[in-house]
Amino acid sequence: MANMDQLKQTFFDECAEAMQQIEAGLTDIRQGHSSDDTINAVFRAVHSVKGGAGIFGFEALVEFAHVFETVLDGVRRGSLTATADNVDVLLAAGDVLSDLVHMSQSGQPIAPGFGSESRSALEQIIRSDQAGEGGAADDNSPAPAEFEGIDFTPVPADGFDFTPVPANADDFSRGADALRSYAITFRPKAEMLKKANEPLYIIRELRKLGELDLTAETESLPSLADLVPDRPYIGWTGTLRTSAARAQIDEVFEFVVGDCDLEIIEVDPASATAGDFGKADAPEHATQAQVVVSTAPALEVGSTASKAAEAAEATNTNRSPAAKPAATTTRIELERIDRVVNMVGELVIAQAMLGQIVQDLPEGTSGRLSQILEEVVHHTRELKDSVMSMRAQPVGAVFQRMPRLVRELSAKTGKKVRLEMLGETTEVDRSIIERLGDPLTHIIRNSVDHGIEAPADRAAAGKNEEGTVRLAAEHRGGRIVIEVIDDGAGINSERVLRKAREKGLISPDAALSEDEISNLIMLPGFSTAETVSDISGRGVGMDVVRSNIQEIGGRISLKSERGRGMTIQLALPLTLAVMDGMVIKVGRETYVMPLSAIVECLRPTRSDVNDLVGTCGMLKLRGDLLPLVNLGDLLDITSAAGDSNESVVIITDAGEGSRFGLVVDELCGHQQVVIKSIEESYGSVPGIAAATILGNGRVAFILDIEKLSDLAVGPSSGAGRSRNAA
Amino acid sequence: MPNAVALKVLVVDDQNSVRQMTRMTLEEIGIRHIHEAENGRQGMDIAGLQPLDLIISDFNMPEMDGLNFLRAVRGHPVARKVPFILLTGRGDRELVVKAAQAGVNNYLVKPFTAAILREKVEQVMGKLS
Repeated sequence: MANMDQLKQTFFDECAEAMQQIEAGLTDIRQGHSSDDTINAVFRAVHSVKGGAGIFGFEALVEFAHVFETVLDGVRRGSLTATADNVDVLLAAGDVLSDLVHMSQSGQPIAPGFGSESRSALEQIIRSDQAGEGGAADDNSPAPAEFEGIDFTPVPADGFDFTPVPANADDFSRGADALRSYAITFRPKAEMLKKANEPLYIIRELRKLGELDLTAETESLPSLADLVPDRPYIGWTGTLRTSAARAQIDEVFEFVVGDCDLEIIEVDPASATAGDFGKADAPEHATQAQVVVSTAPALEVGSTASKAAEAAEATNTNRSPAAKPAATTTRIELERIDRVVNMVGELVIAQAMLGQIVQDLPEGTSGRLSQILEEVVHHTRELKDSVMSMRAQPVGAVFQRMPRLVRELSAKTGKKVRLEMLGETTEVDRSIIERLGDPLTHIIRNSVDHGIEAPADRAAAGKNEEGTVRLAAEHRGGRIVIEVIDDGAGINSERVLRKAREKGLISPDAALSEDEISNLIMLPGFSTAETVSDISGRGVGMDVVRSNIQEIGGRISLKSERGRGMTIQLALPLTLAVMDGMVIKVGRETYVMPLSAIVECLRPTRSDVNDLVGTCGMLKLRGDLLPLVNLGDLLDITSAAGDSNESVVIITDAGEGSRFGLVVDELCGHQQVVIKSIEESYGSVPGIAAATILGNGRVAFILDIEKLSDLAVGPSSGAGRSRNAA
Repeated sequence: MPNAVALKVLVVDDQNSVRQMTRMTLEEIGIRHIHEAENGRQGMDIAGLQPLDLIISDFNMPEMDGLNFLRAVRGHPVARKVPFILLTGRGDRELVVKAAQAGVNNYLVKPFTAAILREKVEQVMGKLS
């Protein structure tokens, strides 16, 4: 049995969802693409918050929600119009409501005047509604627990048998919403399929109307070899129980009615199920007293003897089969999922070890064992994928904070900015979502603060006064790619270059491409606070953003076009915990590097390598020159390969388009590795991303390729020690 | 005098927190068999299968609201006799009238205490033992 605190938590979880609904719904309405359903959903969300708040005694929340709800009610009933101004008031009210929820949740005392500005705006809208209608008297306070004026006599259950009593003919049409049964026969003819009408879709539509029970007549089905795909062999008969109007049922077959044998006959439900529960129930227009609300006679009861329970019991056996499942989602504590994820991780490790043992068995003994092991590997991979997908959440969870951020920033800076969001349903591991919020907020803040110009400047430049920031997420090549694209002023590359030179971050004669210049703003040491806003107009903390992204195994890159805007791209791994790795050896040490970073591997000859003072050499590859990085040198390990002819060079992609050749002693094969964090024990170690346990049971470090390339790449750019620097 | 422990009750509300509150309150007055549904449609699934002694339903729900649920119940050959109490969050005259016409047995305004719930239930079911 749940206790109060758990219930409160559940309520606040519901509020979080409700807030999302409100924000999304109002935004849709503001942008003009909403349906009737949208306003209803928003209304219900606010209503739910109010209801729950009342139960748990959050008075301030109840009161504000009540006023909010009243306006929404007016809009959905049509007595209020959703003008842009009104919707803006509603959006602001949503923000206030959200704040009130958070304050209620954290137990913060709420100042009595909190949200009064928003509330007055709402009340003004309500007044304008009443003025228009001639002043219906809603006093704007939440209904008291018992309301006066409605005298309702409870109807006791004893001997209760109700038949609907219409007060006016048009008020409550005869059994309009009662359930009726129809016997349906549906036999498509050849013409129907030739016109590309698919019976399955029709049956699906039918099923949406109510309880559908169909049997397929399959006697005419030939053997598979004789089956002609566009000829109908199957017909269906059965019943549909629905409260939908006959017209709706006919509508389902609208386009195919001439091309099939169709019969829809209403049947008396009493005859459909063996009736031993009393009288037949053709609804009678009884001679019972009308319900008059001010002086209230009780509804007269009918004369049937059987009680509800007995009747139900008696006919239980006649019920049609299989209830639909009550819900297709469920709430699980995150801890439980994390435990399963860990277990799967251990399973992957154990399985790798098993693989190792099998490999080491003498030739010829392992045949069957290998086979079965392959199956186990396959199943484990599927298990891992399923488990990972349990932790997946749509990025919308993070994205949905952005509209409010943009609204507040535009107001503060006086700029007109529109936020477009795409791909909110793209799914990403939960842990990434949690770490994505801050960097993304920072990037968008920069876009609005520094990227998008003031309306006057934009107009002068021939642009639309309203700037656009587009936030998009999609899956691309095994990663999640998130882009923030703005149509602002872009980066001032001359100034960035100049400042970078001044700060000694790049050598004075270095020649950099446009892209490389843009990426300079992410270097540590670039963004010292007092200089930034003059110079690039951007970059407060961009290096922090970059390290945040790298910490979760992602990459960030910038592309800027002067005067046209800027694109920031984040590429994140789909999951944090398991990765495809290449096992490599240097000397007696084994390391793992991410397979996704490897472009190709080769064994160059002496002649392919150009010695260059200050570096480990440059590799000639198909016309390009790539810097070489000797892993042994970098990590201070004696290489086993005496002659560089025996070394393997792994062409590695370090992100942002830069590549280098990593020199190692040998490649040992690739395997799936479970990523185990070492941060708790060792903190952040440059060059090492994490650790794992190999198939042979030994621990190996996973290399951090981007950090390595920072540490090692020659004198042309980058801070940090380069042991071979001249 | 119905025995509270023997009663089978269906609680319908789209908000989990409200369902749980209602459940707790029902348990306080001695009721043990409590079914739950999130909206009228799910409620109908249960009402069509399970023997029920009482239905307590919210009005404001997606897919099928409380009023339509009530009408569906009243139109169902078996479930139609099950006593129905409607929960409403607003003092809505119109709703109460429509509900009365559709055959509701009693109504409750949120938020409610255990005492009020018990009173409303007993008004319909008789004194609970």
